Amino acid sequence: MVSALTCLFTPLLRAAELQSSLIASALWSGDSHNFKRQSHQFSLEPEAILRFDNRVKLTALMRLRSISFDGLAPQRVSDAAYSPLGKPLYMGNSSEFELREFYLELPSDNYYFTLGKQQVVWGKADGLKVLDIVNPQSYREFILEDFDDSRIPQWLANIETNVGEWDAQFLWIPEQSYHVLASEGGLYAPTSPLLLPQAPPVGVSVDVKAIDRPGRLLMDSDIGLRLSRFWKGWDLSLNYLYQYDNFALLYQDRSLTANGPHVTIQPQYRRTHVLGGSFSNAFDNWVLRGELAYFSDRYFLAEGLSDSDGITKGKEVSSVVGLDWTGLENTLISGQLFQSVALNRQSATVRDKSESTLSLLVNHTLLNDTLELRLIWLTNSNVGDGLMRLRVTYEWQDNLKTWASSDTFYGSEEGIFGQFDDNDRLIIGIELAFE
Amino acid sequence: MKYPRLLSCWVGILSTPFFALTGLAQEPLSNAQATLPTGGQVAAHINSRDEGEAVSRKLSIVMRDKRGKTRKRETMSYRKYYAGEKRTVIFYLAPKNIRDTAFLTYDYNTPEREDDQWLYLPALRKVRRISAADRGDYFLGTDMTYEDIKLETRVSTADFNFKTVGNCDVDGHPGLHIEGTPKTQAIARELGYSKSLSCVDRQIWMVRQSQFWDIKGALLKTVTIANIDQIQGIWTQQNINVENHKTGHSTSLSFAEVDYQSPVPDTMFTTNAIKRGL
Repeated sequence: MVSALTCLFTPLLRAAELQSSLIASALWSGDSHNFKRQSHQFSLEPEAILRFDNRVKLTALMRLRSISFDGLAPQRVSDAAYSPLGKPLYMGNSSEFELREFYLELPSDNYYFTLGKQQVVWGKADGLKVLDIVNPQSYREFILEDFDDSRIPQWLANIETNVGEWDAQFLWIPEQSYHVLASEGGLYAPTSPLLLPQAPPVGVSVDVKAIDRPGRLLMDSDIGLRLSRFWKGWDLSLNYLYQYDNFALLYQDRSLTANGPHVTIQPQYRRTHVLGGSFSNAFDNWVLRGELAYFSDRYFLAEGLSDSDGITKGKEVSSVVGLDWTGLENTLISGQLFQSVALNRQSATVRDKSESTLSLLVNHTLLNDTLELRLIWLTNSNVGDGLMRLRVTYEWQDNLKTWASSDTFYGSEEGIFGQFDDNDRLIIGIELAFE
Repeated sequence: MKYPRLLSCWVGILSTPFFALTGLAQEPLSNAQATLPTGGQVAAHINSRDEGEAVSRKLSIVMRDKRGKTRKRETMSYRKYYAGEKRTVIFYLAPKNIRDTAFLTYDYNTPEREDDQWLYLPALRKVRRISAADRGDYFLGTDMTYEDIKLETRVSTADFNFKTVGNCDVDGHPGLHIEGTPKTQAIARELGYSKSLSCVDRQIWMVRQSQFWDIKGALLKTVTIANIDQIQGIWTQQNINVENHKTGHSTSLSFAEVDYQSPVPDTMFTTNAIKRGL
């Protein structure tokens, strides 16, 4: 059997060309206010691409990461959100190894198959997500990690073809991994009442059950479909996703026991249909882009005791409109307005019916693109909190770059950004690539 | 998240319509030369030169700063003419920090229609629409602008008025000196050039050397094209050097494996293609 397989694959392998690379990076970060809380992070990202003569391509990307600071340690997350297939391998208290991506690309005349563990990115927005929700995300560092690093790749089948003038993409995602949040003790563990039920009064006992994960291979798969085309200068897409909402819902069961009031929390995932679309076009120095998504079944934290299980069902329309301006040489100025509207709520919710977040990006390059200056500002207009990010990157050589950055949160601790007001940080980083 | 100005160079440069005053051997216009073809005629010759319906080629880019530090890029590019447009795509193959970046442009024949351009940024894993009005911006750290790259070996008669100003010679190749002046101040600002002077080989109608002045009238850069040979019956430049006189930075381009005969599929010129890479 082994020799038969060897005979079969040897000619194929002979026809292959291997391309490999390694990225090594190190980060030093410290608390902006006193620099007492410091973190050192080191990571290695080896990548191998095997190209065959018939345009078939096999890609493998791994990540080995070690973080010295306990509050940011890799395992300081709600790792039950990972499927057994997608879970990183934790080593000791501060290190992890993860197969980030492993997929085979199979082109044919009419179809393009991408099969394996991969990232699928939808949408046109930067910084926050409306349609970029195919893969779940790790919030171990809130939204401070690059999405490319925080997105959780999944085992899925990605099939692309043409249907008339449209490009069609079909996704079948049997792996059920969900958003991973920083766990208790983690530096970016959520505390905002917009995200978590508030602690019960003194005297009420709480019991948190193990997460109830969907486990059926076929019936619990996510399905996605995207149709996209270029039409009279417009890039258009229509998107559909039938998925489990990637945030666990914390259902509460309140009871009165012999020992007093008791709350049992049962985290669960719920399905939703997502129907949306995106567009972009360029006009002179401007690029207009946007996304819209309708969620048929959304579940919100209920206000007070208005709902027996603490969760209120409704619907949601989420959108983003962005405008990029490039009127200055080597400069991009981009503004975005994100909006979310909760509809048909069955009872009062903690969140407002309508929520808005504004973003501003200014990016400028100098010295033939070797020096990059970047500012990102995000602010939630409901709470008034926000996040300001500054970064300077210098590329010393093709394979060596360094950067310095700051992340500053502000606003009410009840806000999505303001909850991390104590976690402002300064970072110095270095990245070295080998081929 | 980097928003590179992609491209490289090559292309445009060569062709550009621009011109220079200094550096090129230039002779005054005599009576006999008064019958020289007009700048418009020279531009028409340049733009009607056979470039093949489609081409694929490897392009190596070496960028040097004034201290001598070099950066290298390896790319693969494809270009194809359609009835009303030209489509060009460039894939970056190396080094790692820029690998998988790709640029796609649809260049329409009708001047009133803006070009459509897209950039795939692997760090974002997204294809970004980019404004064609950025055409005077430098492409991915090179000394060529997006417009230079898009034009390839052609010149833009929509943006420039051309005037023949005399004869010239580059490395023993006799040519015509044509001066290009932007038609409007707005175009000059958009492209970053107030004037160009090019020595056009009158036997093969290819630009062999060009100079460009910035919008303040200072000499900005010199483009030199070398090793022009016939490949599969089509005159093809194989080396281009661009020297930026203001920054001391320079960019050298070397073309290899130029192929005008192998078919280039239409699917190569799509946003899906630049996302998937080569």
